[in-house]
Amino acid sequence: MDLLLAEAIGPERRAFRIAGLLASAATIAAVLLLGLSGWFITGAALAGLGGVLAAQGFNYLVPSAMIRLLAIVRTTARYGERLYGHRAALMALAAVRARLFDRILSVRDVRAVSAGDAVTRLVQDIGALEDNLVRKPALPAAFAGAAIGLALAWLASPWTSLALLALLAGLVLWAHLATPRLLASAATDMAEALARLKASMVDYAAASPEILAYDLAPAIGRSLAVETAELDSARPRFARGEAIIDAGLVLGGGIAMGAMLIFSHASLPVTVLAVLAAAGAIEALSGYVRGVSRGALVAAALSRLEGMAGQPSAPVRKATASMAPARTIAFDRDGMNIRIMAGERLGISGKSGSGKTSLLETLAGIRPAGEHCGIALDDQLLASLPSEDVRAAFALSPQDAQLLSGTIRDNLRVARPGLSDERLWAALEVACLAVDIRAMPHGLDQWVGDGGARLSGGQRKRLSIARALLAGRPWLLLDEPSEGLDMATEARLAGHLDAWLRETGTGVVVVSHRPIFLSLVGKGRTINLKDRR
Amino acid sequence: MSNPLDRQAAALFWIGDSGAAILMAAALAGAVASMEQGAGQGHLALAAGGLIAAALLRAGMQIGATNAGEAAAMRVKTNWRQRVYPGILVAAPGDRRMLGEAVADAVDRIEDLGGFHARFLPLRRAAVLSPLIIAIAAVFGSWVAGVIMLATLIPFAMGMALAGTAAARAAARQLDALSRLSGLFVDRVRALPVIVAFAAQDRIGRHLADATREVAARTIDVLKVAFVSSAIIEFFAALSVALVALYCGFNLLGILPFPAPEKLTLGQALFVLVLAPEFYLPMRRLAAAYHDKQVGEAAVERLEALAPASPPAPKPAIEGPPALRFDGVVIDYGETAIGPFTLDIPAGTSLALRGSTGVGKSSLLHALLGLAPIGGGRILVDGRDAAEVALPGHVGWAGQTVAFVPGTLADNIRLARPDADDAAVEAVAHLAGLGPMIEARGQGLALPLDHRGSGLSGGERRRVGIARVLLKDAPLWLLDEPTADLDAGSAADIAGILASAAKGRTVLIVTHSAELAAIATKEMVLS
Repeated sequence: MDLLLAEAIGPERRAFRIAGLLASAATIAAVLLLGLSGWFITGAALAGLGGVLAAQGFNYLVPSAMIRLLAIVRTTARYGERLYGHRAALMALAAVRARLFDRILSVRDVRAVSAGDAVTRLVQDIGALEDNLVRKPALPAAFAGAAIGLALAWLASPWTSLALLALLAGLVLWAHLATPRLLASAATDMAEALARLKASMVDYAAASPEILAYDLAPAIGRSLAVETAELDSARPRFARGEAIIDAGLVLGGGIAMGAMLIFSHASLPVTVLAVLAAAGAIEALSGYVRGVSRGALVAAALSRLEGMAGQPSAPVRKATASMAPARTIAFDRDGMNIRIMAGERLGISGKSGSGKTSLLETLAGIRPAGEHCGIALDDQLLASLPSEDVRAAFALSPQDAQLLSGTIRDNLRVARPGLSDERLWAALEVACLAVDIRAMPHGLDQWVGDGGARLSGGQRKRLSIARALLAGRPWLLLDEPSEGLDMATEARLAGHLDAWLRETGTGVVVVSHRPIFLSLVGKGRTINLKDRR
Repeated sequence: MSNPLDRQAAALFWIGDSGAAILMAAALAGAVASMEQGAGQGHLALAAGGLIAAALLRAGMQIGATNAGEAAAMRVKTNWRQRVYPGILVAAPGDRRMLGEAVADAVDRIEDLGGFHARFLPLRRAAVLSPLIIAIAAVFGSWVAGVIMLATLIPFAMGMALAGTAAARAAARQLDALSRLSGLFVDRVRALPVIVAFAAQDRIGRHLADATREVAARTIDVLKVAFVSSAIIEFFAALSVALVALYCGFNLLGILPFPAPEKLTLGQALFVLVLAPEFYLPMRRLAAAYHDKQVGEAAVERLEALAPASPPAPKPAIEGPPALRFDGVVIDYGETAIGPFTLDIPAGTSLALRGSTGVGKSSLLHALLGLAPIGGGRILVDGRDAAEVALPGHVGWAGQTVAFVPGTLADNIRLARPDADDAAVEAVAHLAGLGPMIEARGQGLALPLDHRGSGLSGGERRRVGIARVLLKDAPLWLLDEPTADLDAGSAADIAGILASAAKGRTVLIVTHSAELAAIATKEMVLS
């Protein structure tokens, strides 16, 4: 489970170590500052009582200089710890993101990951990891606080030191025992209630016209209130659990101070030193304890991320770009038996829901091919081929033209490495988009907006077609290429594509309900998919 | 909102925490003073007990503050839910992706408000009063120490004001950069099918890795500034301890470089020393909760956009069957637009709309209810613009999806007309053909249902919808493929029920079925 994190932390180990050292220094300075101040005041009081002579014999220069020094050390060390800790955490997190992305790429069914909900959860889970990483220096700080506290308590008496050790151990144990009992169930209840609430809302929204027609929103609001009530009971339980665990520390601090007073056999100044140092040592635990209690959330996030990223697999093999085989595609399903050779064309029509899009996605290698999908590439069943080999044969322009948030050029250059601008413009010409792009203020550097939101539906579609043309694969897969286009553009696009296919000798499988695109493939080359539901 | 004491409860608990800290300091000072005077073990045990009791009180205050904060946050969240949920529930159908995001926004952003209201706001209120209370308590030990604490507050406030604006700007920039990075990550994961299909994994992966490293490096530069403000708090917290310690020590030794303004005892000196770090604690806590504030404010911005504006002015309801007219209506979903459609439905007649899937038949019904964006043309109800007529709540609707609430079958039918009596509900249930099912289950109309209507078949659910139309007895009916996906027998059955009940009403039916279309006065094919 921690593999992902361990890999990412690796290169930042030095920075984390420095942050840990600085955190320890800041903690030691804080404990010493309070302890030494107490010792100084008490010693001064006793010396003051002893009369002028005793007062003048009291060495105040060293302690008072120490107190000033410690105040400065505490401040600078804390600042350095924050800086190094965050630097290490952010860099490690950058590595986590990159690694996670690499691993997600090797998932078999990429469509499952790219669903919106999964992606937003991904971001939240990475946020939970950040929290965890930023808290990393808390452990050395807790150790340093305990060490200095125990050492100063030892000055009072071995027994006070032992009592403090027992208390510290008890509090760590308390955090580890209480977390699963107080927080784990609340954390899962919270996550489940949230998921149920979202699911019910989606269910209800499906019936939104009826809700509006009968003004059902109040009644449904009451029904949703049952789920929000569960959420509202789980969240305070979690917060209360955390507060109770923290309260253990506060109480522990009080007990530690009391215990130091009672068990100390040393002089009064040393006793006061031990009392304040013990309180400081216990306070130094708080960052660590908070980390333990948040562990309930981090563990859940980590396991989700691991599950989503799948097992580490061999690095993605480079697709053999030079000469992909894939000369023939054979369909043998639903009583159809069709074989198309390199450079040939096939049209697919059928009602919505008949599986046209999923057929293209299977061919493109982004939907796992089932054992019985009945498609063979060069006489090998699709399911038996590595998906990289399948993908290398096809260039897909999907039904919903997915674009990256970036420039026109970014989007086109996804197709293949090393594409010159001339090649890009040529592809845009074929896709009937060159005129539109030239009219844009930044041309190829035009920002397309989030998911291509600044382009019209038809422009997005044509950009995705241009991208598919640039990939240089033996087969082109077009899913509803004319969606969002007017009749004139549609006709021009079909003409351009016809010429381009002939020139390059590329084969095409096109899904469309428009006669003009079905005529592109020639008479009798269209199959009609039956409703498979 | 509830009474102000409730809202302030968490802040009061945090202030109480500072009060308990004063008790702790007093107990400790008392214990040491009694040891100094050589008092017996009894005194010592009493003081130690007091110390632990004060610690217990403090722990209780902190738990109380958390509880009260959560309670306050819950009230705010409930308020927002009431404002936002109705809008989500009547979101335009057909736009699944947007719906998913809207639901995530409505649920998660409201949860994001928690930290802001449960922690940040009470801590901010407490941060004003708590340091003052600590300083006043310190005055009872040593007025000079109290003055020292308050005096460090002045440069502290100036430093914070200087660093604070820079830090706030820096923090906002950092949050911005991080969210842009998350956005980039989300975008590339969302476009995964494209990236994989074009074998662009390596290139995109490298680009993403470079971008995250670059943002991380930039963020660190920004953080250097942001951490200055916490360093200032840290510095003055340490300074306040050091100054109090040095003053008290020199005062006790009697070697102050200026005439001693007061004569301190050990107990007084220890008391103010232990209080010194407590003086800055509320501000340190507040700084730690700063992230909650940023998240909470960002969430409010999103929620304001989601929440519908003030409730609409009352509109005239329809009386009697209305005449409908669609005048060149274009429905514009942004990416795709459908239409223009022109139809005329005289009062009291019915029109069946047919046409292939995706042509926009259902969208027309939705547009009438205000659920679809109209890009051009007008919809007139009795000559008035549809938006100015109170249609929602005053029409009969039967569609392919039927909404259920947890409750009995009778409750669910009665949703259409809450004041209907049992006899009326039973009558429409039988009229809608639910009779055989009711008898088979043996629970009558008291049959319990959950929010998905689990246990009912597709046909039975549709019949519940039909029963609602019948119960509503509205002058205008909107029927969106009420018989789609039903077996031939049930479809014919329902068509028959609707045919006899629809007489004298204005009815708009969207359907593929010729059988259902036949019950309408007129039929029209959209293309």
